[in-house]
Formats: sequence, structure tokens, C-alpha cells
Amino acid sequence: MPVCPARAAQGPVVRAWRLAFVFLAALGSIASSLAANSAEAPRLIIDHALAVVSGEARFPSSEPATEVSLPDHWSQSRPGSGGGVWYRAGFKFAGTVPADDLVAVYVERACSNLQVHLNGALIFSGGRMQEPVTRNCSRPQLIALPPALLRAQDNVLDFRVQGHPLDRVASRQAAGGLSRIEVGQQSSLTQAHAARLTWAGKWIEASSLILIGLGCVLIAVGWLNSREVYFSYAGWLCLAWAVLSLAAHARNMPWRNDVSEFMLCSSWAVLLAIAVQFFLSFAGLRSRVIENLVALQWVLLPLSLVLAGADWLFVLALSWYFLLALELAFVMGIYLVVTRRQRPQDFGPMALVIAAGGLTLLSELAVQTGLLEPPPVSVGEVVVPLLFAAVGMRLFLMFARALRATELDRNQLSAQLQRLTAEFDVRVEQLTAQRVEQFTERERKRIASDLHDDLGAKLLTIVHTGDAARVPQLAREALEEMRLSVRGLAGKPVRLDDALADWRAETIVRLGQAKIEALWEHPDNGVSSTLPARVFMQLTRILREAVSNVIKHSGAGRCEVQCTVADGSLRVMVKDDGRGIAADLHRGQGMSSMKRRAKKLNGQCLVESRPGYGVVISLTVPL
Amino acid sequence: MTNILLLEDIAEASAWLKVQAAEVFPDAIFHDASRVNAALAIIAKVQLDVALIDLGLPDGSGVDVVSALREAQPKVQAVVVTIHDDDDHLFPALQAGAFGYLLKDQTGAVIVDQFRRMSQGEPPLSPAIARRVMAHFASRSSQRERPKSVPHVVLTDRENEVLLRVAKGYTLPEIAVQLNLSRHTISDYVKQIYRKLNVSSRAEAALEAQRLGLFGRGRRAVQPHAL
Repeated sequence: MPVCPARAAQGPVVRAWRLAFVFLAALGSIASSLAANSAEAPRLIIDHALAVVSGEARFPSSEPATEVSLPDHWSQSRPGSGGGVWYRAGFKFAGTVPADDLVAVYVERACSNLQVHLNGALIFSGGRMQEPVTRNCSRPQLIALPPALLRAQDNVLDFRVQGHPLDRVASRQAAGGLSRIEVGQQSSLTQAHAARLTWAGKWIEASSLILIGLGCVLIAVGWLNSREVYFSYAGWLCLAWAVLSLAAHARNMPWRNDVSEFMLCSSWAVLLAIAVQFFLSFAGLRSRVIENLVALQWVLLPLSLVLAGADWLFVLALSWYFLLALELAFVMGIYLVVTRRQRPQDFGPMALVIAAGGLTLLSELAVQTGLLEPPPVSVGEVVVPLLFAAVGMRLFLMFARALRATELDRNQLSAQLQRLTAEFDVRVEQLTAQRVEQFTERERKRIASDLHDDLGAKLLTIVHTGDAARVPQLAREALEEMRLSVRGLAGKPVRLDDALADWRAETIVRLGQAKIEALWEHPDNGVSSTLPARVFMQLTRILREAVSNVIKHSGAGRCEVQCTVADGSLRVMVKDDGRGIAADLHRGQGMSSMKRRAKKLNGQCLVESRPGYGVVISLTVPL
Repeated sequence: MTNILLLEDIAEASAWLKVQAAEVFPDAIFHDASRVNAALAIIAKVQLDVALIDLGLPDGSGVDVVSALREAQPKVQAVVVTIHDDDDHLFPALQAGAFGYLLKDQTGAVIVDQFRRMSQGEPPLSPAIARRVMAHFASRSSQRERPKSVPHVVLTDRENEVLLRVAKGYTLPEIAVQLNLSRHTISDYVKQIYRKLNVSSRAEAALEAQRLGLFGRGRRAVQPHAL
């Protein structure tokens, strides 16, 4: 039975990764201090094995075997080939195992799936070995060796690996291969296994869940603030990343591996489109051309993969990765330039994030091209969620700051509004007071003028008159003046129809009592104007004065009154057939008071007379 | 012999009014009062023929005296004597049952003439008052909900016709000519209008009091003077 001896040797590159790995493990595991113990426990490293290409269910002993060193990357040892490979290694476990422990085999990486036989008996299976093969590439395996099967001396371990050629997968991590194998006490191997499991499994799941939550909240915020669309893009970016990484680590797919790889590769176009949109919108830019180009990639990328065929998947995917990385770098560059100019406060933190993202991208590209050994844990899968979370937090901070600023603004605004309102109130009050003052002043002047000119004059006449018999008449007139003044103050507007009726009744009765034949004419109806109380009063006085003159002084036998409404004016004509104006001296005063009153109403009062031919008084006032 | 209630708080005016009234009623016996309460006391004691009532008095309004008189002695001619010529003062008095009004500042001759005509049954009616009366009845007729206990007073077509013409500024003699009726008939229409105004207003007041739940109190306030 050909058996390869196990050797305890490590390359410098591996050691470097191991260091990083230990650091990560220290982060992820609270029991990291126990890692020191592992050096004391006996441990075998199997780095050589006999390999036979075969899809059979048992190690094909009849087939010729070749010796290979582990880790065996199929892309290097047997490029272009996939399918199943059997590895056989023999080991002699010298150390003593405590009663409460087991001997275990730790397989860091067996891609895509692994079965383990010990001394000819199947002791472990990672899942389906036929298409669709279970995808266990990123999953470390710790297999306890049943003590019953374990021999004291020579043991034979057979590893059956089912994998895919590099050409037919979308990333180097998914290409077939088998890592170095460690044999030792289970308790001493658990550390490494658990740490790796944490970063390759639990971390992905936990970060994905967090990113999904963060993404949903960001999308909601973006939806509520349609102007800040980058919230939505950041949210979708988180969601897309979470879905993509969950899908990449899903073990069992209902379709062939080719399809899974094709879909994973295609989804990068979507992720890039969202990222581009995010950076552009975050920088406050928008380009239809870029939008359309990145959207076009959604179609172009899968189409190119389909057209090229499954055997060219990795080559094409790699080219696309470079192209997408260039695009992303370009857009991030634009973003940084714009941000530095327009929002310097954003530049520092975002530049850090972008630098970290860029480094991650570079390392991933280096791994994919084969320049770097694939690290035990995908740097992108660990770092990118952290970066996303950082950006998300920054966005939330911005949002919170904006909210606070808005609130401050609103408070300031409301304070300002209150101040303005108060000011306005004071102004209105002042203005009203001023108006009231003005109005009162005007009314005071008017009343004073009324009392002075009319009532005062009458009372003065009473004081001065030597004729005691005239006193009652003068007093009566004074009373009348007072009554009119008061009514002019308090009265409601009078319809012209009603005013004419009142004047008519009064005039007819008075002339009738004086035995003067009266003739009255006024427009029957259709006069819809109203007279302010004051105008009505003044007109009443003028008419009353005119009729009084006719009764007292004219000696007329007949009096004619004509009222007409034309061109917005009221015209009243009082005509008598008495002896005319020159014959009487008293009439002068009455006339002048009538004229003064007419003038107050912006009208005029004309008196025509000739001795012996009566008097015609024409009064015209605007309505 | 004519018993005249003279309610006037200014002594000179009272004396002057007595002189004028004596012109119309040479055999007049004057019952003077200068306060509302005194007038109410007189109404309760003396059977009156005519009442001359001033509106603005130190202890109230002459309108209350007009109402009381209307209740206690409906046949008495209540004439309001006032300085106010506006219908805001006169209309409530007419509603309360006044038969007419005299303006104090007119000359004695005019007062005597008007008073004589009133005593002969010709009531005064100005256009402004006519318009108020028309408005009063127009608003009453538009009220649909009216308990049966409250009489619904309406004017006849002829009464409306007279009112309308007065409102347009025609004098009663002119209207008599226009309608081809005697002045006496026109006067009767006007008296009828005043009576209906009083009835309608009292019904209105009662209705209002009932609506406000004051009916009983309102009645009691009037009754002591009526008895």
C-alpha cells in the first residue's frame, strides 16, 4: 500500500496567512488564549498524498497512483480537469490520547466536497458527490476518527474529493483542490476549526442579517426623502451584498454548479450598478450615460458568459472583475474629487472607507489572478460588511444631523414668526389707534362745525334779537339743527326712494298748511341709490330751508318741486311764483347757508331770481 | 267734560301743552303726572278720555304708560308728545297702542291743528312710519310657525294700498282723492292699521314671552295696573 509520510513543514506565505488567521481567530473567539496549548499537543501534518483520478465509491487500488504534495490546487496540478480525485495518506499516530478525547482529522479546505475513509471504512461525507455537488469549498471539516477503526500502527486515510476545474468556476476559491491535512487530538484542532468556521460561516450569516436590516432601514429613509436618493442606493447595496454572500455560501443548490457560478458572476454587475449609482448620487451627480452603461452590463455580462461557454467562465469572469473594478475605481475617484471640493467634512472618513475598500478589492483581484495564495478567510467577505456598516452609520449620522438642523431651523423660524406676529399686532394696534384718532378728530371737527355754523348761529341770533316774538321760532330752528346733526351722526343710509317720499310728504303738508298750491314731481321708481345719513340730513335741511323761504317770504300762491336723477347726480329744483329775491333782505342768510351745505356735499346750489318773477333754486349733488 | 292725562316732566312744557290742549277741549280736566309711576296710579283711579304722554321720563319710558293704558282703558286716545321725530322712537309707541304723536317743537298753531284732527279721528302717518308698519306685517306674514293661540293679524288689500301710498310720500287727503274715497274712510283705514299693529305687536310680544318662558311673569306685571 503506497503511503506518503507526513511532514511538519510550512512555507513562508502560508505562515503569513496563518498569522493573519490567528489574529482573526483571536477576534472571533473568546477562547483564543487557549491557542497556545495546541503547540504542546502532538499533531501530524499530512502534506503529501497519493492521488488517483477516479469517480468510484472506493479507493481504486488497481489504478496507478501519483504522488502529489498538499495543498493540491487542481488548477496547477491538473488544469482543466474536474470530477473526482482520491487521495491516500498513511499515518502513524504516536501520541497518547487522553481518555476523554478523540483523534481527529482537520481538513481546512476540500473543494467542492469531501468523503473520508479510515482504513477502508467510510467515516465522513460532506454531502452529495454527484451534480449538483454540495458546495463546501469555504467550509472547514473536522472529522473525529472512530477509536474502533484506529490502529496502533499504520492507518490509511482515503479522501475522496469531488471538484470543479478553475475554468468552470467564477472564483479561484471555488476551484477544486485539497488543502494540507492535520491529524491530532480533537480538542487541539477544534480551535482552528471553530475560528475558521466563525469567519467563513457565522460571520457571513450574522453580517448578512445586519446588512439586510440596515439596508431595509436605509431604503425606507431614502423612500421617505426622495431628494436623498443615495440612502436608497446604500440600502440596496447592503441588501444585494447580503444576498450575494449568502448565496455564495449556500451549500446545496438545486442546479448544477455551472449555473450557480454563472449566477454569482452575473450578480456582480448588479452590485456594481448599485455601487456606481450610490457614489454618484452621494456626490450629488447624475449621469444618464453612466446609468445606462451600468444597466447595460446587467445584460452584457451574463450574455458574454453564455456565449463564451462554461469552459471560459473563469477567464471571462476575471476580465469582467477587472473591468468592474476599474469602473468602480473611476466612480469612487469622481466621488472623492467632488466631495473634496464640495463637502470637505465628508472627504476624510469616506476616503478612508474607499481606501480600505480599494485595498480589499486589490487583494481579492490578486487572489483571483493567482498572485496571492487564497487566504483562509475571504478578505472581502469580512471587510466589506464592515465598510458598508460604516457608510450606513455615517448616513444615519448625516440624517440625524439634518433632522436636528431642521428642528433648530423650525424653532428659529417659529420664534421669528412669533416675533413678527407680535410686531404685526403692535403695528395693527397702532394703526387702528391712529385711524380711530383720525376719524374721531374728523368727526369732532364736523360736529364742531355743525354746532358752530348752524346751531351756534341760531342761538346767537336768539341772544341778539330784539324781537322777543321771534325767539320761539329761532329756538325751534335751533332744535331742528341739533336734531339733524345728531341724526347725521347715528343714522343708517336711506334709500333715495324713501328720502324722496319723506321730502314729498313733508313739503306737501307744509305748503298745504301755508295754503300754497304744491306741485311735486319725482321719478316714480328705478332709483336704487342710497344716501348716507349725513347726505340725507343735509339735503333735508336744504329743501326744508327752501320751502321755509317760500312759505315765509315769497308770498307765492304756488310752489313747484322737481326732483330728477341723471348722470349719477340728484337735481332738485324749487320754483315759486312769489315776489322774487330782491324784495326781501332776510333771504340772503338762508341762501348762503343752503349754498354752504351743498358745497359740503360736493354739489352746488344756484339761485335765480328777478323781482316779480319768483325764485328758482337749483340744487345738484352727486350720488 | 274731558279727563286728560298729561304726563310731562318739564313744568314749562306741561303748562304750554295745557294751553294748547285747552284750545281743543275747553272743558278739559287735567291730571298731571311727571313720572311713569304717578301716571300709572292715575290710570288706575281715573276714567280718562285723552292722554298726552311724553316718552323720555326720569323713571322710565312713556311707552310703558301707553301699554298700560291700552290694557286698562282701551278707548282712551293715547297721543305721544315728544321731541324725537324719528321712527325709532315713534314706532314702538305706535306698537304699544298710541294713536298718534305730536312734536313738541312745533308752533302752538300747528300743534292745536294736529291735535284737533287727531281728536276728530284723523291719525297722523308719516312715510317712514308707514314703511316700518309695512315691514312689520311683511315679516309677520312670512312667519309660518305660529301657535293657534296667537291671533294672526293681516292687513286688508285696501289697508296695504293706503300704507303703500303713504310710504311713497302721498298725504292722506291726496290718497283719498286717488282712491276715490272720503277722507273719513281713509282715516278709518289708518286707525284700523294702528289697531292691528297694536294687536299684532302684543301677540308678537306674548309669543316671544312664551318662547322665552316669561309668559306668566309678563302677564302679572301688567295686571295690577289693569285692576
